[in-house]
Amino acid sequence: MSFLSAETRKRAARLTGRRVRRSASVASASLLLSAALTGCAGSAKAGSDAVQASGSTTVAPVASDAAEALKAKGLNITVATQGGSAGGISQLGTGQIDIALSSKPLSEKDRKAYPDTDFVPTQIGADAVGVIITKEVADGGVKGLSKAQVAGLFEGRITNWKEVGGPDLPVFVYDKEPGRGTREVLDKFIYGKGEAPAPPKSANYAIVGGNLETRNKLKSTRGSIAPLSTGFIEGHPDLVAVPLDGVAPTLANVASGKYPMTRPLFMITNGKPKGAAKQYIDYVLSPEGQKLLPEHGYLTREQMGL
Amino acid sequence: MGLTLERPTQAPGPAVPRPSPGSGRGSRARWVWGWAYSGILSVLLTLTVLLGYLVTGIASGTVDWTALLTSSTWSPGNLAFGGLAMIYGSAVVCVLALVLAVPVGWAAAVALSEYLPPRLAKPLRLSIELLAAVPSIVYGLIGIMVIRPFVADLGDVPGGDSLLAAGIVLAVMIMPTIVAVSVDALAAVPGRYREAAYSLGLTRREVVRSAVLPQARTGMRAGVLLGLARALGEAIAVFMVIGRADDRLPESLGDVFSFLVRPGQTLTTKLAGPEPMLAGTSGPYFAALCGLGVILLALVAVATVWGTRGSTGRAVRAPRARRSSAWLRTPKDRLTTFARLGALLLPGALLVGMLGILLARGGAALNPVFWFTASEGAAGGGIRDQILGTLLLLATTALIALPLGYGAGVVIGTRASAKASRVLETLTVAVGGTPTILLGLAGYVLFCTTMGWGRSWLAGAVVLVPVVIPVVALTTAGRIRGMPAEITEAALALGLTGSQYVRSVVIPYTWPATLTGLLLGLARAAGETAPLIFTATVFFGAPALPTGIVNAPVQALPTHIFTLSQDSGAPEAIAQAWGSALVLVLITAGLLSLAVLLRNRFEGARRWTT
Repeated sequence: MSFLSAETRKRAARLTGRRVRRSASVASASLLLSAALTGCAGSAKAGSDAVQASGSTTVAPVASDAAEALKAKGLNITVATQGGSAGGISQLGTGQIDIALSSKPLSEKDRKAYPDTDFVPTQIGADAVGVIITKEVADGGVKGLSKAQVAGLFEGRITNWKEVGGPDLPVFVYDKEPGRGTREVLDKFIYGKGEAPAPPKSANYAIVGGNLETRNKLKSTRGSIAPLSTGFIEGHPDLVAVPLDGVAPTLANVASGKYPMTRPLFMITNGKPKGAAKQYIDYVLSPEGQKLLPEHGYLTREQMGL
Repeated sequence: MGLTLERPTQAPGPAVPRPSPGSGRGSRARWVWGWAYSGILSVLLTLTVLLGYLVTGIASGTVDWTALLTSSTWSPGNLAFGGLAMIYGSAVVCVLALVLAVPVGWAAAVALSEYLPPRLAKPLRLSIELLAAVPSIVYGLIGIMVIRPFVADLGDVPGGDSLLAAGIVLAVMIMPTIVAVSVDALAAVPGRYREAAYSLGLTRREVVRSAVLPQARTGMRAGVLLGLARALGEAIAVFMVIGRADDRLPESLGDVFSFLVRPGQTLTTKLAGPEPMLAGTSGPYFAALCGLGVILLALVAVATVWGTRGSTGRAVRAPRARRSSAWLRTPKDRLTTFARLGALLLPGALLVGMLGILLARGGAALNPVFWFTASEGAAGGGIRDQILGTLLLLATTALIALPLGYGAGVVIGTRASAKASRVLETLTVAVGGTPTILLGLAGYVLFCTTMGWGRSWLAGAVVLVPVVIPVVALTTAGRIRGMPAEITEAALALGLTGSQYVRSVVIPYTWPATLTGLLLGLARAAGETAPLIFTATVFFGAPALPTGIVNAPVQALPTHIFTLSQDSGAPEAIAQAWGSALVLVLITAGLLSLAVLLRNRFEGARRWTT
C-alpha cells in the first residue's frame, strides 16, 4: 500500500511539476510576499499620536501616574521599562520612543553614541539611592557603613556581616545589571570618576534588573544588600536604608546635598519637547504633577531648590 | 494484501460539495501555486532574516571566536567577550533538566502505555498533553514562588537563585513533552510483538524490556531531544530564577557541585537581559551578542533536527540477545511495576499541584469582573486590556500564519520530490525550534530599530508568526501524506491539473488538520513572552486596542505576568500575576480543546503536541 501511494504521489508530482510554470509561480509568490511587506510598511507610516516613554524603573511610577491623569484629557501615553535608563536613552537615540526616562544624567558617551540626536534633559525631581540591607542585619548592629565598607561589600571582600559589626551571617550582594541608573550612582559614590572593577567572583552575588525585582529579592534573601531608590522601601519595615559615612538619607540630608547618593530624575527628549510630549512634561513640572513625586518617596524640584 | 490491512482506517474527510455547473470549478486555479509558494518562501524568508540578522551583526564588528568559546570573562566595558561561562551555564541547566526529567518521564510513559488500562490511560495522556502546552511564563512564575525558596532551603543558601532552580524549572517544563512523545512511540509498537512475548511466558517487565522498548527506543529518544531543544531555547522561565551572575565557572570538581546552588548565567538569559538594547546595532559588542545567538541557534537546531529525524525511525536495530537470569523474576517484576507506576505519580502530582496553586492563588480569575475591567495602576483592577492585547496579537498572527503555513504544508505534501520534501520539512522544523528570544531580537532590530516602528503590535504579531507557521505546515503535510491514494488516483484519472487537484481535492481534505495545527500553534504563541518584551508590549498605558500601526504598543498577558512576578513581594501584584496566569492557561486550554474537538471530529486520533 505504501509503495502504491508513493508511486502515485510521484506521478502526481511529475504531472504537475512543469518547470516553466514552477518558476513562474515562485516569481509570483515572491511578488506577493514583497507586496504584502511593503504594503505593511506603507500603511505603517500612518502612525498614531501616542507618546511613548521608556527607561528607568525609578521614574516609571511617576511617569505612569502622570500618564493616567492625562488620559482623561485625551492624551495617550505609554510607559515601558525594558533596559532601564540606558535602554531608554538608546531607544531615544534610535528614534523608537519620544521620551527617555532616566535616573542618571546624560554622559558624553551617550551623546557621542547618537550624534544625530539632540538630547534635551528636563529634570523632574530627585531621589536618593540607598544602600539597602535587611532589618535583621541592621538590628544586629550594622547602624552605618563607611565608603570603604560599602566598596568592600560590593567587591566581595567583606563576606560576613560580623566584619562590619553585624550578626554572624553571610553577605549576599545583589547588584544592578549594566545600564541601570541606580548602579551608576553607586559606582560614582564608591569610585568617583574612576572605573568600577569587574564584578566579584564570589558565590554570593547575583544580578537584578528593575527596582521591583531588587526589592523582592532583598526581602526574600537573608543577609542581602543592594543599591535601591529609597522611595521603594517606604512601607517595607523589613528593609533599611543604612546611613553612609554617618549621613542618613533623610529628606533634609538629601535636599541639602549632604547625603552622597542623591540623583536627579530626568525626562529626556530629542530636541525641545513639543506637542503631546510637551504637554506631558509640562504636567509633570506643574504643581499638580510635582505632587506625584513625594507619593513615591522622591523629592520635588522645589525641595531640591530648582 | 497484508500491508493493505495494516493501513490505519481513515475517518472520512469532510464531504466535498458536488460541483454545480457554472461554479467555476473548471477554471485553472492558477492562484494556487502563487499562494502555496508564498508559504514555503515565508519559511525560507524567516530563516534568511534570522541568519541575516546574526551574520550582519557578526560582520559589523570582529568577533574573537576563540575568546567567545574559551574565555569566561564577559566585560563589555573592557571589550572582553568570553562566553564560556554562559555555555557552561546552559549545559549544566540542560543536563540537570534531563537528569531529573528523563528517567521519570520514560518510566511514566511506559506505565501509561503498558500498565494502565486504556480507560484510565486516555484521560491521563490528554492531561499530560495539556501540561506540555502550559506557557513557560507560568512555569517561571511557579519557579520564582515555589522552587526558588525550595532551593534556598535545600542548599542552605540565601535567596535560592541558582543553576539548580533553573534546572528544576526546566525539568518540570520538559517532562510532559518527553512523556507525550514517548507514549506515542510506545503506542506505535504493534500489539502482536507484545502478544508474542507474553505467549513465551515472559513477565511484564521482560516483555517491555525485550519486545516493546527496542521498537520504541528511537521515538523515545526523539522525545528527549525535543525536550532538550525546548530547554536550551527557553529564556524567560530561566531568567527569573537563575540570578544572572556572569563569569561563574567552577575551577575544581568540588566547585561543580557547590556552584549548582549558586547564581549563574546561560546563553538565553544573557540575550534576554538589557544588553541587546545597550549594544546598539553594530560594533564588537553587538557582534559578540550575535555570536552568542549563533552558538545558541546551532545547539538548538542540532537538537531539534536530530530529534525529529530520529522519530521517522527507519532502521530499527535488531534487539540484542539478552539472557536475563531467572533469579527473583516475579519480585523483580513487581518492583518494576511499583517503580513505574510510582513514576507516573510525579507528573500526576505536578498536574494536580499546578492546578491547585493556580486555582488557589489565582482565584481572582474566576470572577468575570477580573476579565472585563481595565487595570488600575501597576497591579490593581482587572486585566481586560491585557486579554484584548493577547487576543489581538493572536488574531493577527493567525491571519498571517494560516495562509502561509497552509501553503507551505501543501508544497511539502504534494509538490516536492521525496528528497526536497525532506529538506523543506527539516527547514520548517528548524524554524519551529528556533529559540523565540532570537526571533524577538531579530524583530527588535528589524522592525523597531531599522524600520523605525518603535513598539508596535504588528511587529509583535509578525514575530509570533514563525512560531505558528511550522505547526500549521507540518500538520497539513502530515495529513496530505495520509490521504488515501485512491482519491489522488481518481483526481488524476479525471485529468485535473496540479493546481485543480490542490484546490478541489487536497484543500477540502486537509482543512480540518490545518485548523487543528493553527490552534495548536496559537496555543504556543499565546504564552510566548520573550519575543514580545522587545517588540510589542509596554509596562503601562497602552490603550486596550491600538490606534495606529507603528508606535502603537499593546499589553499582553505573558509580559504582564513577567512584570508582576518580578515584584512578587507585594501581595496584590502576586494575586494579579496568578490570576493572569490562570487566565492565560484557560485561554491556552480553550485553544487546545478546540483543536482536540476538531481532531476527533475529522481525523483519526493522532498526536498533536511536540
